[in-house]
Amino acid sequence: MQAVNVTLNGEKKTVYIEGGETLLDVLRENLELTGTKYGCGQGACGACTVVVNGEAVKSCMVLFRKLEGAEILTIEGISDGVHLHPIQKAFVDADAVHCGFCTPGIIMELYALFTKNPDASEEEIKKALNKHLCRCTGYLPLIEAAKLAQKYYKESLKEV
Amino acid sequence: MGFKYIGKKATRPNVLERVTGKAIFVDDIRLPQMLYAKILYPKYAHAKILSIDTSEAEKMPGVVKVVTGKGIKHPYGDCLHDRVPMAVDKVRYIGEPVAAVIADTERHARAALSKIKVEYEPLPVYTDALDAMKKDAVLIHENLDKYFYVTPLYKPTPGTNIALSYEIKKGDIEEGIKQADVIVEKEFVFHHMSSVAIEPHTAIAMHHPNGMIEIWTANVGPFAVREQVAEFFGKNISDVRVHVPHIGGCFGYKSDPSIEPLTAYIASFVPGRPVKLKLTRTEDFTSTFIGRGIRAHVKVGATKDGKLTALEETLYLSTGAYADTGTNILIVSVQASGGVYYFPNAHVKGYSVYTNTPPVGALRAYGHPEAQFAIERMMDLLARKLNMSPIELRKKNFITEGKTNVVGEKFKASDGNLFKCLENVVEAIPPEEGNKEDDDYYYGVGYAGLIKAPKAATFASKGCHLKFNVDGTVSLNMSGGDVGQGLWTVARQIAAEALKMPPEKIRVYNEIDTQYSPWEWQTVGSMFTYQGGNAIIRAANKAIDILKKNASLVLDRDPDMLEYDGEYVYDRSYPDVRVAVKDICRGYVKPDGTTIGEIVNVTSYFRLPGVQNPDPETGMGRTGGSYTMGVQGVKLRINKHTGEIKVDHVATSIDVGKVIYPKGAEGQVLGGVVQGLGEALFEQIRFKENGVLENPNLIKYKIPRLEDIPDKFTIKFVETPDAIGPYGARGLGEHPVIGVPPAVVNAIYNAIGYDFYEVPVTSDMVKKALEEKGMLKEQSNKTAEASLSETVDRDKEG
Repeated sequence: MQAVNVTLNGEKKTVYIEGGETLLDVLRENLELTGTKYGCGQGACGACTVVVNGEAVKSCMVLFRKLEGAEILTIEGISDGVHLHPIQKAFVDADAVHCGFCTPGIIMELYALFTKNPDASEEEIKKALNKHLCRCTGYLPLIEAAKLAQKYYKESLKEV
Repeated sequence: MGFKYIGKKATRPNVLERVTGKAIFVDDIRLPQMLYAKILYPKYAHAKILSIDTSEAEKMPGVVKVVTGKGIKHPYGDCLHDRVPMAVDKVRYIGEPVAAVIADTERHARAALSKIKVEYEPLPVYTDALDAMKKDAVLIHENLDKYFYVTPLYKPTPGTNIALSYEIKKGDIEEGIKQADVIVEKEFVFHHMSSVAIEPHTAIAMHHPNGMIEIWTANVGPFAVREQVAEFFGKNISDVRVHVPHIGGCFGYKSDPSIEPLTAYIASFVPGRPVKLKLTRTEDFTSTFIGRGIRAHVKVGATKDGKLTALEETLYLSTGAYADTGTNILIVSVQASGGVYYFPNAHVKGYSVYTNTPPVGALRAYGHPEAQFAIERMMDLLARKLNMSPIELRKKNFITEGKTNVVGEKFKASDGNLFKCLENVVEAIPPEEGNKEDDDYYYGVGYAGLIKAPKAATFASKGCHLKFNVDGTVSLNMSGGDVGQGLWTVARQIAAEALKMPPEKIRVYNEIDTQYSPWEWQTVGSMFTYQGGNAIIRAANKAIDILKKNASLVLDRDPDMLEYDGEYVYDRSYPDVRVAVKDICRGYVKPDGTTIGEIVNVTSYFRLPGVQNPDPETGMGRTGGSYTMGVQGVKLRINKHTGEIKVDHVATSIDVGKVIYPKGAEGQVLGGVVQGLGEALFEQIRFKENGVLENPNLIKYKIPRLEDIPDKFTIKFVETPDAIGPYGARGLGEHPVIGVPPAVVNAIYNAIGYDFYEVPVTSDMVKKALEEKGMLKEQSNKTAEASLSETVDRDKEG
């Protein structure tokens, strides 16, 4: 067993692993943070996207043992589950959540994008969304939700 | 009639679970003492199993049990009982389970798989129906004549690989051909594809000491799962309990029992402990259901002024290693062969043929896209031969009031207005926008009609439990699986309308449990709104009747003198003589405590009236019951230098009767159109000659990404109220996928004058066609650089 120290959703944690586990494995199996989803295991669908050190990463492609000291943020970490993060609220208001399986990954992708650059251009937004597969919506509602999310997010920055 | 909630903005119930990561999908469930299974697949797509040695695997760390199919006594199924959960003495496709390891962790189970030794004797492999139908073909199922077929309509041809055949005969086909001035004859292929929900199949099963089998699965047919598992184990249906939590998309392949009987079989070796079987994305391609896979030989006749006289067609479904779940796909493709057009004479035959490929099962609108791709391409070919516009030819032959489809069902005015749909689409994408070119592109436009009935078993129905709570709120319990199509929202809106109360007072179920949920057949065929909506209205009316009866005891008025407004029941002439709903919903408690009246806790159901099995002789009959029709149009351009196809605009106009949930309806069209574009342009499961899938993953099997969507979507709903749909509404969920492939391929011809007869049509195929026609232009330096940098960009992201 190997110990890996990380900050997970704002909390310091030591996780003991066998060695070959991906970040996705550890989140889902060891830590029971099941909001992050397995869709393909090859980095093609984006359903497992979380934020590591401020960047959106596909957690199925990252070995957990390489994350010593990393700050990891998952869908469970951006709101308390009752008071929504502005990006989550935008997805509800834009009616961009159909089956919802790809949703956490997309929200985390946009979280990384907007926290780095609240003024991301439409092209940058589309490029970020293009890393994700969604079979339900035809993508147009996702673009609308992302733009609304940007608006809500920027408003929330002013409020603070 | 003005509506308060129908057709208005609505919020999806349970959406907050889905944006916060709190929605529980099957793989998120952890049970005490849970074990994990991994499956061993064969080396060959068709082979006899000579021996299996599990002894080494059993010694591996964490392994609890190794399971094989030895000892499975009888097959199971729905329409045709030919399925087994695990191979018994032979394997019939490359994704068929041969053995399973049960271990304490998934990793341990996986590690032990390679220690299982299996000896095979390979047999010839067939991946296409036509090869499997050859006279000398080896039989994939040797005991076809011993299988149970649920109706005599489905007939196998023993001694061949034809699992079943079906034909319809309308009018006099010979006469129809004789009347034709023009005949067009062609063969079309709709290749195999996958549903690709983003959530792969996962199931958990447990055998309880009390004899219950409990299953958790992402399946929209939990009652079908229950019946088939009960049958397989020889249990009472009441002894199987199936839970369905949130479902991460369906698109067809989660509607028939798939891995549930397998998981229950594996779990039977470790009674008392739950076993989870979670498929990888590759297994989701190889070992569940695939879709489409139909070849159609079509002959159409018309008079010189463009009146259709005859349709003669033979369809071949490469149904895969097990034919049960492909049964209705074949039947429906035959019944849909005429599309939205009136043929006075038709003779259509279909064969469902065993092949050594994964079993074909449902995929959004199954049977309809395949058959209507052929007929909609034929309409364009015929128009060309008649020197007539494809739009005019379509208009001349639309099924209208009083006309019959190929199975002889007479259409009513209330079935929808195809002319209006066509007008909307042509207005959005006029023909003048096609058949053009500039320096870099050829431009084309194409059109296609679409039609689909809420196809299901004749007895298929939806149930609704409606319970008034003592505070006057309502709990609504049904068994429709919300796979993202938004049926929870529709259910709440319809309940709100029927009960005259705000949606916030109605709590919609978020889990199906066969122990407590009302029976329904399966959430398939775009029929939840239609059937479920009517079930809700019936339940609401029953509840209101009880409330009025209870109120009549309190107010000393006859029930029919009372009105209900969602909060009160009152005397219609003296509204201040009233009693609150919350005070009479579990009977009325008098001041002294004495209680009178009925508890408002009702159950209702709805099924399509009068739908029947086809006549065994003619194949004809009232098989659809209700139809939704529409038209789609596509504008695209083809790069003169690369052959790349870029779809610019897709227009969809469907007569849905009544839009209940506007954003949801629009979402279904957007998602359906984009899925249809994937089918038209690149989605295909490719098989090697040995039956191995070349592309069973999301890197090699491309589904549309954001970069693939058109710049413009036009969506126009026509609302001709349906005769029996709730508030006039009809089904919509699957339809938007149907017209896209033929409209795309018609548009490709319009752009470059080259006919394709199959889908997908890839950019590579178009490039070859341009080369063949001498239409591929030299790349200018500028465009060469641009496209190169784009490729690099994508590589980086991929």
